[in-house]
Amino acid sequence: MIEYLGFCLIKGIKELFRLNLDISQYRKTIITMSKTKTTGVTHYEILFIIPNKFTEDEAKTVSAGVEKVIEANEGKVTLREFWGKKRLAYDIKHNAFGYYSLFEFDLEGKNLAKIDTALRLSVDVLRHQIVVKTPKSAEAIAKEAKIRVKIDSKKAGEAKKLEEKIKSAAPTSTASKAIEKDDKRADLKDLDEKLEGILSAKDLI
Amino acid sequence: MNNKKIKECYFCVNNLEVDYKDTRTLRRFVNFYMKILPGARTGVCAWHQRKLSDAIKRSRIMALLSATHK
Repeated sequence: MIEYLGFCLIKGIKELFRLNLDISQYRKTIITMSKTKTTGVTHYEILFIIPNKFTEDEAKTVSAGVEKVIEANEGKVTLREFWGKKRLAYDIKHNAFGYYSLFEFDLEGKNLAKIDTALRLSVDVLRHQIVVKTPKSAEAIAKEAKIRVKIDSKKAGEAKKLEEKIKSAAPTSTASKAIEKDDKRADLKDLDEKLEGILSAKDLI
Repeated sequence: MNNKKIKECYFCVNNLEVDYKDTRTLRRFVNFYMKILPGARTGVCAWHQRKLSDAIKRSRIMALLSATHK
């Protein structure tokens, strides 16, 4: 009896140790798999609104300033777009209009918060939004092109079928119409000739 | 928008990506009251409907789409 109890105790302790080890390993994996910590360079896209109080040239200088902020935080701007003045869907701080500007840039994840706060604090930017944009690989682009070709061919085929349907349905109706028209013309010609014949006849008067 | 159900997903069939800046296409999937239409109504597949709802909300934030009708 005592022996058995001792055996159980030892077994239990061993089991506990094993579990403990497992848990610690599990924790380690969780830490390494963390999604909030981004390492390395990622591709971002930023869209921001500049208030209407500026002229277009001034707005462009403001957007250049934003680019400088990005570059100051070791970001590389790859795409610049200035949409110009647009009507906002709703008023933002009594602004009915605003200048939209768009950048794409590569940046280390840890520096993103700095840009965000800088733009949030600046008076020259009404609103901004930073979105992660996954750049397409060459394979993905090739695959997309293939699919595009398929879709286009399918659409073309459908259009052809429709045309053929119309053609196959049309000839009888159009031909009959043409014949009718010809008949009418012939009738009119005959009538004209008859009339002329009657009019030219001297026996009438 | 017709009340008829559409069976195929607009984005799958035309091989398009959902973009929050493209308000013209987003407008198709929004009500007269600017409410997001359900996927069952518009025929958008579940995977694209998730992207679509995100995109519409993003464009609302950037005042590209309004949140209510006026």
